[in-house]
Amino acid sequence: MIKFLSIAIKDSKELLRDRKGLFLILGFPLFFMLIFGFAFGGMGQENETHNLAIVNYDQGAVFPTTNAKINFGNNLTTVLKDTKYEDSETHIFNVTKTTENNANNIIKNSNADALLIIPKNFSQAMVNLLSSNINQNALSSSSSSASSGPTSSNSNVTAKLIIRGDSSSVSFGVSQAILVGIIGNYQDQVVNNVKKSVSGSSSSQIEYIKTDVESASGTSSFTTFDFLAPGMMVFAILLLATTVASGLTREVESGTLKRLKLSKMRSFDLLFGGLIPWSLIAALQILILLGVAIAIGFHWQGGTNSIILAMIVAIIGGVASVALGMIIASFAQNDRQATNLGTLVTVPVSFLSGAFFQLPQVVMGNFMGNTVEIYDLLPWRHTLLALRRILIYGGNWNDISYQVAWMVVLTVILFSIGVVLFSKMRLQAEK
Amino acid sequence: MNDYIIDAQEITKEYDGFKAVDGLNLQIKKGEVFGFLGPNGAGKTTSISMMVGLLKPTSGQILIDGVKIEKIDKGMIGICPQELVLWEHLTSLESLKLMGDMYDVPGDVLKERAHKLLEDLFLDEKANTLVINLSGGMKRRLNLALALIHSPEIVVLDEPSEGLDPQSRRVLWNFINSLRDDEGKTVILTTHLMDEADKLSDRIAIIDHGKLLRLDTPENLKKDIGEGDVVEILLSNSEENNDALNILKEMEEIESVIEINNKLDVRALNAVSKLPSIMKNLEEEKISIEDLSVRQNTLEDVFIELTGTGLRE
Repeated sequence: MIKFLSIAIKDSKELLRDRKGLFLILGFPLFFMLIFGFAFGGMGQENETHNLAIVNYDQGAVFPTTNAKINFGNNLTTVLKDTKYEDSETHIFNVTKTTENNANNIIKNSNADALLIIPKNFSQAMVNLLSSNINQNALSSSSSSASSGPTSSNSNVTAKLIIRGDSSSVSFGVSQAILVGIIGNYQDQVVNNVKKSVSGSSSSQIEYIKTDVESASGTSSFTTFDFLAPGMMVFAILLLATTVASGLTREVESGTLKRLKLSKMRSFDLLFGGLIPWSLIAALQILILLGVAIAIGFHWQGGTNSIILAMIVAIIGGVASVALGMIIASFAQNDRQATNLGTLVTVPVSFLSGAFFQLPQVVMGNFMGNTVEIYDLLPWRHTLLALRRILIYGGNWNDISYQVAWMVVLTVILFSIGVVLFSKMRLQAEK
Repeated sequence: MNDYIIDAQEITKEYDGFKAVDGLNLQIKKGEVFGFLGPNGAGKTTSISMMVGLLKPTSGQILIDGVKIEKIDKGMIGICPQELVLWEHLTSLESLKLMGDMYDVPGDVLKERAHKLLEDLFLDEKANTLVINLSGGMKRRLNLALALIHSPEIVVLDEPSEGLDPQSRRVLWNFINSLRDDEGKTVILTTHLMDEADKLSDRIAIIDHGKLLRLDTPENLKKDIGEGDVVEILLSNSEENNDALNILKEMEEIESVIEINNKLDVRALNAVSKLPSIMKNLEEEKISIEDLSVRQNTLEDVFIELTGTGLRE
């Protein structure tokens, strides 16, 4: 049998047969998820007003039937200003109108949770929609991290609303999700109104435009836990590094590595073989943690595809953790040292990846139109952002491809370092 | 055709100025059981680690069948370490198959060899038992089987009978003999059991302080050191041991005399004929003898003679 497969089978059997160890690997993050779920599951929506900066470029349009000049951008701004939480008197947003330059500074300084940019052709797109009276995607909205640039409109019938902010921020996550909901409602109501108008309803467009959305349906469901749950998943994936380091060190301590070292096995066989079960454990962890998170109130967006995507992301993150485990095992002298050193490394890395709270911005530069921060050098940072995109925002492959590319590159680098270090320190003849 | 399968040439291993092995020259013949003896800390494990390629010598070189150790086929050597080096959550058969795979043993050969080893070492009924559930003796036998699954030319057994009961030890001894006699393997055996080394080894090397003290067949070692017999003397008053020791050392016909376990071990050629003069010299000094016996020289006597009685760490 191919050596690395034989090692993979051996590692899998050892993993599955060591029930106590397996229970700890899977149970520890689960425990954290439950604690965080109960602690933060009911928070975030408690009538908390979010700061929203709006840049309105809308130039307005003339409504063909009435020749009235109208500005849907202003109307939407008013709607957002007036929108209240469901069954509550508290406004969802504290709206600040501003310019784009100023808005970027506001976001950077965390003075606003999110920035909404209304394009100049927004009203024209709405008018075209209403005039043609067709129920199609005349408007689209997109979310973007602080690093994404605005997308300009490219036709008379399509206007793109940009929601911008720091996607690692809990407040942005909640604000963004509510904004998407409200804008969706707004568009639906416009279309419904047009239908009523066409069928002889007495209500005029002007009356419709002035309609205030008093409460946004579903806004009560967003919680801080929704934002923390992917962080817990990344924490679980990172903890694998400690387990892997401990396992490899045990192999050194028990002498079994020496036995393998004497054989024809290469470093690659041992380390690549070990990757297979551990990556699968990472995928399994995501599945279990997602299931538990949903059970205790996580508002999961997306369908089966999002689970598959999340598992792929977890596997890549898991490989990065295995690589980190190898690096730790290269230096740890025994099992206890590996556990201590592993904890010493993985917990700060979890924080630096943004798993538990939002990090202050430390910009290094720009890459492909995206701001690169110092934390972006950690693969798990991208695991976290990708999992949030998938699970909170219902993102698809295109939405996470940038993060996945970063993850793959960083993981390959980390794995190469791990293989070289472990081979040099543990698999060569002692000097 | 090279007669020596292992040729260690002037190998030295230094750790921070301390020489664990000091210019060791050793040649091991093909198909022999080579006993490697020495007190704790004498440099046995370091020497063996260098001879199997686990440790790089500070200087000197090792040739395996005429080829530098760094360049040999790893399948040539099988090592059974002193410690139990096993995967506790694999079964006996799975452990053997894993190591077979690591040595590229073809599937059908591996299956057959694994079952034969389990049978020869009386583990066939435990083939599918997890290692964690095996007894100490079974684990030790599996430890040995793992060193042999790839059918190496050279088998290194580092204190293989440690912790074994007499029955298991005999199984092991028969197996070691069969490795040499039936399969033509070269076996390097380190042990602290002198009777084991005596019974199994074709030649024995005794090392201490990293240096080779003597290398010969067990018979020649016993003949050369102490020249035959040992007279064990127990004095009525053990406080007189030192005085007696000095008196006996003065006697020309006595090869050597040392104190072991409160007894005086006197080595002399044809010891029986020397008994009257030994007794006379002691009685003249009013030293009374409580018990006296004569026995043949053993390998342990040789070992003590060469390495002394001082306790080693």
